[in-house]
Amino acid sequence: MNEESKQAWNEGQQRANASYGAKRKRITIDPITRLEGHGKIDIFMDEKGDVEKAYFQVPELRGFEIFSLGRPAEDMPQITSRICGVCPTAHHMASTKALDMLYSVEPTSAAKKLRELIYSTFMLEDHALHVYILGGPDFIVGPDAPAALRNVLGVVDKVGEEVGLKVISMRRRLREFIAYLGGKVIHPVFGLPGGVAKGINPADLDGFKQLADDGVAFAEFTLQVFNDIVLKNEEYVKLITSDAFTHKTHYMGLVDENNHVNFYDGKVRVVDTDGKEIAKFSEVEYLDNIAEHVEPWSYVKFTYLKKVGWNGFTEGNDSGVCCVAPLARLNAADGLATPKAQAALEQYFGMLGKPVHHTLANHWARAIEMLYAAERIQQLINDPEITSQDIRTIPTATPKRGIGIVEAPRGTLFHHYETDEKGILNMVNLIVATQNNAARMAMSVENAAKGLIHGGNVDEGMLNKVEMAFRAYDPCHACATHALPGQMPLVARVWNKDGEVIHTLRRDSQVVGKV
Amino acid sequence: MCLGIPGRIESIDNEDALARSGTVRFGGVGKTVNLAYVPEAEAGDYVIVHVGFAISVIDAEEAEKTLAMIEEMEGLADLEEASPGESS
Repeated sequence: MNEESKQAWNEGQQRANASYGAKRKRITIDPITRLEGHGKIDIFMDEKGDVEKAYFQVPELRGFEIFSLGRPAEDMPQITSRICGVCPTAHHMASTKALDMLYSVEPTSAAKKLRELIYSTFMLEDHALHVYILGGPDFIVGPDAPAALRNVLGVVDKVGEEVGLKVISMRRRLREFIAYLGGKVIHPVFGLPGGVAKGINPADLDGFKQLADDGVAFAEFTLQVFNDIVLKNEEYVKLITSDAFTHKTHYMGLVDENNHVNFYDGKVRVVDTDGKEIAKFSEVEYLDNIAEHVEPWSYVKFTYLKKVGWNGFTEGNDSGVCCVAPLARLNAADGLATPKAQAALEQYFGMLGKPVHHTLANHWARAIEMLYAAERIQQLINDPEITSQDIRTIPTATPKRGIGIVEAPRGTLFHHYETDEKGILNMVNLIVATQNNAARMAMSVENAAKGLIHGGNVDEGMLNKVEMAFRAYDPCHACATHALPGQMPLVARVWNKDGEVIHTLRRDSQVVGKV
Repeated sequence: MCLGIPGRIESIDNEDALARSGTVRFGGVGKTVNLAYVPEAEAGDYVIVHVGFAISVIDAEEAEKTLAMIEEMEGLADLEEASPGESS
């Protein structure tokens, strides 16, 4: 580190520490409360004992934006990926793109391709995790299977042991490729303003081409599993299309110049409940289009479409509620840029119509996106420019403001930084994917509660059904972090019309040997 | 904000490739975690856990930096706003 940046770093550190010490009111450092965090559901009943309102609340990590102030912007790709260990590559990439704009620098063509290559690899790997492990149990094993089987072992029973091993080995190879370019997966040191830190050695190319081909085969196989097990079963299809899991909202996602889905770059396109484009905006216009709504009962700031306005947790074209993630991305685009994935997409819309409003169709959309990601890896790794060593434009401009947007596996992710002329952060705004989906997720939970509680009778199986409603979104909440597989810790409190708690349903994660 | 807190593997309790699991310690709490997707992880390693599955291995230095950051942020959060409801 040179003298000037060392000084800037130290000043930033001191400022951060001073503001921290000065404003701090009480000591609550207790990582255990975070670990033990439960998703909380509050259900309010009317005089007939039916559900009037339900709130879904999750413990949330706050303080990140204050934590970042006074630090050099260049540290953000590392800091954000470290804090968000669940999808580090998404934060790393959004942050790197924000730095490009901050330093007014255009990455070289090869650097952009390398970034998209590593990003597509991450998407394939992360989606595979959800399809087989996190969301799979609901579908591959079956939503009505006993809880004991609705886990990864149940999935293996159904699809066969060798498939389980294939998933493990594929995921490992994809992560090794990310590590080849980015250093550590969990702490990538890949993106730099204006480019990337490392290119591909032509001698290693053949191995990666093989990986790309295997990735496409793996994704095709995954779609086949989905076809055989889910789509050929009438009961599943009925469940996917049932009213309980359907919401007509707006949808948002990044698209390229042909309005095809792009995970790494492009403009944000928003369509209404009929699939009609109502907005298409670039990074600098995001604040004109996206606003945040605060509810007294939640830490989560609910994003909504600014031009439509916040009209509560409601559906339809008059509601600013906007959905992100696989379902939304496919709805918001006119197609996919690779042939096999496009064919799969046509089958999907052919069966469900467009736009698709069924939350549980997220699982199918995710499998289609796996195929797109794999084919995109194949295209990029076979691009003659991919081994170019012209991978960085050195920034020279004075920093001011940078905004980076990518499609994270769980939806559109925004990083916005402003700095002084030395690149020290004085404003940080992050809008994360789960936040974009929070309003629709709250609606799904309320729907599930309304469907399951009547006349004051609380169904003990409610938690599982509610969990299924929001698992389709693959939410990445603090409370989703430390439960036993398939057992997110949840607490549901049921309130009567007089404001008394009449039921508490609680499911804890398994704790082994508390000290 | 999404979040993955690193925990340290205390013991491997099941070595079967598909059902590999172990006890992972987060501060004072030990939890049973599925380790099938990090076949390279051994007792003593730090892992990031997402809904009960270890999804990546990180080295001790990284883990400690992450934990230190999370602690600092937890403190900072208190001065942002009052709690919107009951805390447990």
